[in-house]
Amino acid sequence: MEFVRIIDGFDHLWAVKDQEKEADELTMLFRNWTNGEYLLDFFMENIEDLKRYFHIERLDVAVNDTFEDAEALQELVFEIPYTEHLDDLFKPLDITDASTHELSREKARNWNRGRHASWLRIYAIRLEPNVYVVTGGAIKLTRTMQEREHTALELQKLNRCKAFLRANGVFDQDSFVELTNE
Amino acid sequence: MASKAILFLEGHKSETPSRFAEEAAWRKENASWLRWSRQLAIILIGYMQDNGLKRADLAARLGVSPQYVSKLLSGTENLSFKSIANIEEKLGITCLAMV
Repeated sequence: MEFVRIIDGFDHLWAVKDQEKEADELTMLFRNWTNGEYLLDFFMENIEDLKRYFHIERLDVAVNDTFEDAEALQELVFEIPYTEHLDDLFKPLDITDASTHELSREKARNWNRGRHASWLRIYAIRLEPNVYVVTGGAIKLTRTMQEREHTALELQKLNRCKAFLRANGVFDQDSFVELTNE
Repeated sequence: MASKAILFLEGHKSETPSRFAEEAAWRKENASWLRWSRQLAIILIGYMQDNGLKRADLAARLGVSPQYVSKLLSGTENLSFKSIANIEEKLGITCLAMV
């Protein structure tokens, strides 16, 4: 598994880079979320979830809301690394992650969206305070990730990355030994 | 001094750098005209849904290739006034509302 630093000179935010994909996970997410054709295909395929969970029947409304939301989320991701407050953007994925101190699975979204809750999610593993590795993301229309194939896949990616980091002895900051002491 | 976590990530760094920051900066710099392009894409998506059209149907109505329709729907195409006027004329809709 390989990683990329998102912003040169800053250690806060990283992303998984699959060798078989052209770009890293975070770059791919925003390419998709700012592409109307991709969004049209996605919402056509998931129109029933859109109606059931968000009471939205119009594809143009769904695409427009995603454009707006992606722009707001991009701003949060783009600006926050400089302010070293990523812990305010990401929240534990579920209760088990909230209680763990090592390699917790996290999600970020635009928490202050108007009209309806944001359906855009960025998923990441928290390595230590303010240090995250993005494993992927999704347009999440259902209550749980397990309910749909595309979100279940993101859960697998989170778990795979966590397992890789754990297998390589990467834990939270408290258990780290600085190289100078080794 | 970098933590062990950062050193680990550095040690497993891809040779292909992230383009997120570069692309996000581009989207921000070009936000003013991208807004128009996205608005056109949204109008076309609404038109397709209202009329039960697929991409190929829209391409036929516009007299353009499906590849061109893909560009229009992406919301990232910098179109000329002539191109927009052609779309309005062929579909009988208004895309650009002048204030």
